[in-house]
Amino acid sequence: MMDAPAVELQDIGKRYGRTVALEGVTFTVERGEVFALLGPNGAGKTTLLHILCTILPPDSGTAKILGYDVVRQPTRARRKLGVVFQQSSLDTRLTVEENLDFHGIVYGVPRALRRKRIAELLDAVELTDRRSALVQTLSAGMRRRLEIARALVHDARILVMDEPTVGLDARSRESMWRYVDGLRAERGLTVIVTTHYVEEVESSDKVCIIDQGRIIALDSPERLKAMHGHEYIRLVPVDPQAGAAIAERFPDLVTTVPDGLLIRIPDAEFRRNFLAEYGNSIRQLSIDRQSLESVFLAITGRQLTAPTAPTRGTSK
Amino acid sequence: MNSAPASTEETSGPGVVALALGVYAIWLRELKRAARDRGQLIGGISRPLLWVLILGIGLNPYFRGEVYGQVRFVIPFTYLQFIFPAVIALNIMYTSVQSAVSLIWDREFGFLREVLVSPMPRVLVLLGKVLGGATVAMLHGSLVLILARFADVPIYPASIGYGLLLMFLLSFGLTSLGVLIASRVRSFEGFGVFSNAVILPLYFLSSSIFPLDPALSRAQAAIIYPEWLVFLIRINPITYAVDALRGNFIGFNQFDPNLGPMVLVAMCVIFFALAYLDFRRG
Repeated sequence: MMDAPAVELQDIGKRYGRTVALEGVTFTVERGEVFALLGPNGAGKTTLLHILCTILPPDSGTAKILGYDVVRQPTRARRKLGVVFQQSSLDTRLTVEENLDFHGIVYGVPRALRRKRIAELLDAVELTDRRSALVQTLSAGMRRRLEIARALVHDARILVMDEPTVGLDARSRESMWRYVDGLRAERGLTVIVTTHYVEEVESSDKVCIIDQGRIIALDSPERLKAMHGHEYIRLVPVDPQAGAAIAERFPDLVTTVPDGLLIRIPDAEFRRNFLAEYGNSIRQLSIDRQSLESVFLAITGRQLTAPTAPTRGTSK
Repeated sequence: MNSAPASTEETSGPGVVALALGVYAIWLRELKRAARDRGQLIGGISRPLLWVLILGIGLNPYFRGEVYGQVRFVIPFTYLQFIFPAVIALNIMYTSVQSAVSLIWDREFGFLREVLVSPMPRVLVLLGKVLGGATVAMLHGSLVLILARFADVPIYPASIGYGLLLMFLLSFGLTSLGVLIASRVRSFEGFGVFSNAVILPLYFLSSSIFPLDPALSRAQAAIIYPEWLVFLIRINPITYAVDALRGNFIGFNQFDPNLGPMVLVAMCVIFFALAYLDFRRG
């Protein structure tokens, strides 16, 4: 048990009625890793996390947290987990400190240690001056930070976060990650996070791309980019005819996106020639460097964040 | 549940003390929330005022006997005294069900998840929740006692002590019943449905506002209640709770005095067990 990996999933499957939410999901997360689950809405990320958190039993397969089976030893598994759900699970009628204290007591943290941890965590997420405020008076960003702090009041080894930055502005998002990184360095946490913001997972150790309940890629961001990534020209044509003309000329390279076109750059030569030829048809242009977004596009042929394809799974 | 073995790694293993503290935390949360919920508090105060001071005083003169043209009370208590214990039960019913309804809130707004991913066994989560709701309901029930002097109900330390125990049992049973209903009602239909479909029928059918035997007020001796009504009152467990409270506060029982406490304990055990079966499934 002492050297079991942080998380071990073996062939996890889950259905809701006839809808397949997850199928044959197998992966291992080593201790201390930042593991990102990336995928469009409805890909099955939340379902997977709920299975990990022991609140949803899988239909098939096994899941282990530090060696504890989530179905057979749920209490032990839970003790190791700090969970931040997609939807806030704070009690808005309690104060910041009361929420933290409640969590500490329920997880059996002794009083002296609880006091100390709460003070430290409030400091870490910069909520010390709001400790006596009712949660309903906090902003969305503050609530997120409080939830992350709460997940760590007990001796959590694995921090599980489901879309922790949804609904936050760019600045809160960035500061939230700063807090998480700080806490991670301090405690040697393993972090498992789902997101559909690619820029957030660039710095993780491993990225697992999920689509329609299956793993379609699993590797470090660098390797994924090296294998599948391409550079793209992202452009807004001057008028629809110009756009149609470009799309007709390079049917293999062009993907239509809501606000324009995305053109894969096959080689360096192409970019120069393309711009010389179509420079006048373009109103706005940018070059997308190799990113995980382009990896997702390369593997699935779809955009990650744009609602282009109807999603089939449900994110219950 | 197989979920309470002592952990070897965490210094604060889930010993009995830690689990008891967990129940305490959930209980305390219910109390804090109730104390901050002004609407609930207003209801808890205005309800007894309406029922005791207005309805009670208003109907008081009609609850009497006429013997040879002389108006006097045939029975040794007034209508005010008669409904006073029932109003305690009413206040408890509202508050219990309200705190059970907060379970729907918890589910809707996610707080329930925070507790369900904690190492607390579910039965203790439910116990904390029900104990908290029951404590608040008991306190609301005892608010009615403030009006005791207006209703001419004598209050002794002994009657308060035993009265609180009865109130607590009723609160515990009803909160469990509320949880049982709440875990079936998934949507936010609101409290109105509960109060109209559950609380008021149970209250009116508990011999709370009229004695089961009309002959008690001599003027109505000629009237006998229809069988269906008597039947409904007899099968309603609240009837026996009200009877126990009445026995304690005004010394009047319509049934065997032991029946009330027995029904109350049975309610607690059965409703809590059923609520747990539902709650476990989530």
